[in-house]
Amino acid sequence: MADLEELREAILNGDARRADSLTREAIAQGVEPLALINQSMVPAMDEAGRRFECEEYFVPELLLAARAMKAALEPLRPLLAATGARAAGKVVIGTVKGDLHDIGKNLVASLLEGGGFEVIDLGADVSPQKFIDAVTNSGANIVALSALLTVTMPSMRNTIEALKQAGLRDRVKVMVGGAPVTQQFADQIGADGYSENAPSAVALARRFAGSAA
Amino acid sequence: MAEFVRLAGGRALQDQLFELGVEFPCGGASACGGCRVRLIDGEIPVTEGMRDALSEDELAAGWRLACQGQAVGTVTLDIEQWSAKILTDESKVSVEPAEGFGAVIDLGTTTLVVEVVDLETGDVVSVLTGLNPQGRHGSDVMSRIEFDLRHPGVLTALIRGALGAMVAQAAGGRLLREVLVCGNTVMHHLFCGESVEPLSHVPFASPALGARLFDGVELGWNGVGRVTLLGCAGGFVGSDLIAGLVACGMHEASAVMALMDLGTNGEIAVGNRERVVCASTAAGPAFEGGRIRMGMRAGDGAIDRVERDGCHVIGGGAAVGICGSGLVDAVAMWLDMGIVAPSGRFADAAKPRRLAGDVELSQADVRELQLAKGAIAAGLDLLRRRMGLEPDGISSIHLAGAFGNYVRVASARRIGLLPAWDVPVVAAGNSAVRGTRALLLSPSRREAILDGLLGRMEHVELAADAEFQEAFVENMLFPR
Repeated sequence: MADLEELREAILNGDARRADSLTREAIAQGVEPLALINQSMVPAMDEAGRRFECEEYFVPELLLAARAMKAALEPLRPLLAATGARAAGKVVIGTVKGDLHDIGKNLVASLLEGGGFEVIDLGADVSPQKFIDAVTNSGANIVALSALLTVTMPSMRNTIEALKQAGLRDRVKVMVGGAPVTQQFADQIGADGYSENAPSAVALARRFAGSAA
Repeated sequence: MAEFVRLAGGRALQDQLFELGVEFPCGGASACGGCRVRLIDGEIPVTEGMRDALSEDELAAGWRLACQGQAVGTVTLDIEQWSAKILTDESKVSVEPAEGFGAVIDLGTTTLVVEVVDLETGDVVSVLTGLNPQGRHGSDVMSRIEFDLRHPGVLTALIRGALGAMVAQAAGGRLLREVLVCGNTVMHHLFCGESVEPLSHVPFASPALGARLFDGVELGWNGVGRVTLLGCAGGFVGSDLIAGLVACGMHEASAVMALMDLGTNGEIAVGNRERVVCASTAAGPAFEGGRIRMGMRAGDGAIDRVERDGCHVIGGGAAVGICGSGLVDAVAMWLDMGIVAPSGRFADAAKPRRLAGDVELSQADVRELQLAKGAIAAGLDLLRRRMGLEPDGISSIHLAGAFGNYVRVASARRIGLLPAWDVPVVAAGNSAVRGTRALLLSPSRREAILDGLLGRMEHVELAADAEFQEAFVENMLFPR
């Protein structure tokens, strides 16, 4: 029997190769894909997030864990598609127009994926129209906006306005984050939620997914 | 060693303190907690914003946020951590003798330096330093841009007025034939009254980078002839860096050298007389003591050196805080002692580590340093690769600014801020003001030097570079 604990450790230690091979072994032994996700990957990323929040992990360790998690997820994708298993929620994520910084956004995207969400990552410098198109095409229920510069924060407001005008605002929960963003700003621009760091963004998305279901 | 000031009630503390050099990093929005001052005597009621930004212990020790403070009657405050020495430079440069006097201005985001120069001898006849009055509307270029977009013209009037007064005082009645001003792109634009809007979003490309000429009269500067704002390189890289290249001789060198200005906005150039690549990287203010819980500028009371058997404090008194060089020293030492792991983690993460007196560093402080040094090291690495050089292909590294003057090279190597191999490292001092003075004193060659440098200079937008993001994350770790 494949060791789920060992897979969890491999992800936590950022060992992508080991995470991949352990996942393949587990599949060969007939372990349920959902069991792998729920008993290894989700707990591993939750633990990585916890360590980040208590300052035991920093950006490099968190990114390495996210990469290992992605490596482990890869061999599972076709199986998940075949079983028709439903993701916890669908998130369209991107760094807003005018801003190119995407390390923080990538972290959130990886942690969301590790947390069982389907993530559509639009990259950086994303126009409001691109967000609208992605929500329309994917049927996503959550939109996550990132900005690192104070001067690009107005793009968050513009994106939310554009979602309203496209008649999509009621279909999605909008969450915002990034170094200069505050809860106060999130309230001002009419976002549904704000998170201070990547791990708490996952908790927030889970709350949204729960309330939407 | 503390510096006490007595302030009257009535007038807002923010206004009174700004004039004394207290900075408001977030522009006074009570968002950052960066404008802490300590109440010695009198009463400043604690506000909700102060409770958010400061701990119970800190409030009990008298710490308050200057931006929120309302004094009840007269108060005494300790503002020691805000006193700073501003780096000037009066070293000799070559001169094409001419009649009369001129001046050079280093228009920095934080500090201002005005030097009046005898055009005949090249001697600096007077020097004045001061704080950029725009500082109360935000400490970094991005917050200035944001402010200018909301309140057009205010910052332009502020800086023209402040510099005009400084120039008049430094000139002491002498007529100034010519004034050269260097500064980063945002300072250049705000002085000239150009729109900073193009600098507020990708690709950070302004159409107004060129040199700008003013008549003293049109600026309201009496007794001043021509005022030239030197042209910028691109992005946020301005004429301060270009002047620095002139000062360290990159425009004439055959060997490839690097110049790094490690302020809030780290600017880096790598090159020689054939080709120069440059970039700016938002390193954050850690090297100037910013965003460090007990951080301060390199002034009296700052721990500037840390060794196993003790700390050195500038001015010799009790330690009040720690400046960038002390921070680098402390972390380098702790890496050697195994107290900080290469991942940046404290062996005992929960507890801040005491250095001297009440001054301590926390895990979060080390993380700030990791971000700052990661950005600089990754920037240097990327520019070196753009030049097609091996890691040891750079013949010397020149460090501009106060931090470059104080930092111990061995410690900077230990934490991976500088390359591990023993490339010569030169403290370049205020190379911006020295280079600008060299340009002022060589009028016949000035245009050729500047056009040559700008023509060969390539600006690299780091944020747009996937390779940079990768290198940034890798360089956040400390070497083993």
